[in-house]
Amino acid sequence: MIGSGIKRGTAELAILSVLEESPLHGYEMARRIEQQTKGALRFTLAALYPMLYRMEQRGWIRGSWETSDNGRKRRCYRLTPSGKRKLLPLRKEWAELFGALRRLTKVSHA
Amino acid sequence: MPDWRELVRQRLSGLALDAEEKDEVQVELAAHLEESYEVFCKEGLPEREALHRTFEQVADWRDLQRRIFIAKRSVHPMQKRMHQLWIPGFLTMTLSTVFLMTLQKLGFNARMVSWRDSDILFYLPWLLSLPFCGAFGAYISSRAGGSRGTVLLASVFPVLALTAAFLLMFPIDLVIEPIFNRPVDFSIVATAILKDGIGWILIPGAALLVGGLLVHFLFSRRLSSHEAAIG
Repeated sequence: MIGSGIKRGTAELAILSVLEESPLHGYEMARRIEQQTKGALRFTLAALYPMLYRMEQRGWIRGSWETSDNGRKRRCYRLTPSGKRKLLPLRKEWAELFGALRRLTKVSHA
Repeated sequence: MPDWRELVRQRLSGLALDAEEKDEVQVELAAHLEESYEVFCKEGLPEREALHRTFEQVADWRDLQRRIFIAKRSVHPMQKRMHQLWIPGFLTMTLSTVFLMTLQKLGFNARMVSWRDSDILFYLPWLLSLPFCGAFGAYISSRAGGSRGTVLLASVFPVLALTAAFLLMFPIDLVIEPIFNRPVDFSIVATAILKDGIGWILIPGAALLVGGLLVHFLFSRRLSSHEAAIG
């Protein structure tokens, strides 16, 4: 199980990554992240929405209201050009971090 | 099935956003809860368990309310402090000053009460109005998502400002003394601060705090009862 500190740090990357695939509303986003990470990252409502609103304030994502087939109003989020630009260095940073950790653990085991 | 919109509306009633923005947050969170509940039911959970699992997603609605407010207004920490402390604090101070001036205009005079060989100014009608002023400041701060400490600080803000003014008397005297060449007896200043401190700071501070604590208690209790209604 991944620790809570790391989870917090990866949350923005997770949201930006799933939104890169397609626009999603909050619940779908949480489900998608949970499925794709095999339950390692799990967003509750309380964790997800303050983060989405903060990312929207920063201009990385944009929400718009849509009405589903069953008439339910839902807010759908999509990545903005600024969010796309943010995603690249974030991915690089995390890849470097995990690469470094991998190398470190290999050295420790040797 | 519960009225999700109403449940979220009750729990986020203190969310200090404009009406339209607040409404959007409530609709969005209600839709999320409704969808979670439906999925739990489809997975075969009994209704009660599905409800429990749905509401498990939010352990503390007051905290969520605060975090949503901060996220929506996450421009600068100073702005947050401005809404949660400075504005409510200055409004409380203005209100208490207006009360005092009005009472003086209406002819309500302060009473001098003798205590340990000194006279203390005791302004009963004004003191009676202070819990309302404290409650007002605490309410404004609570609505802006202030923490318990900030809410109580906002409620006693007028006496904090007065304390700062009293304490400034020492350095001001130090500046005035060489300029006007008039020696200041600091023991007189200290006695005046202690004496006036009781009538103008300690007792009014307690009266303001009563109002602040009452509002804080009512806000916490209302949120707890909403949470209990669900469990």
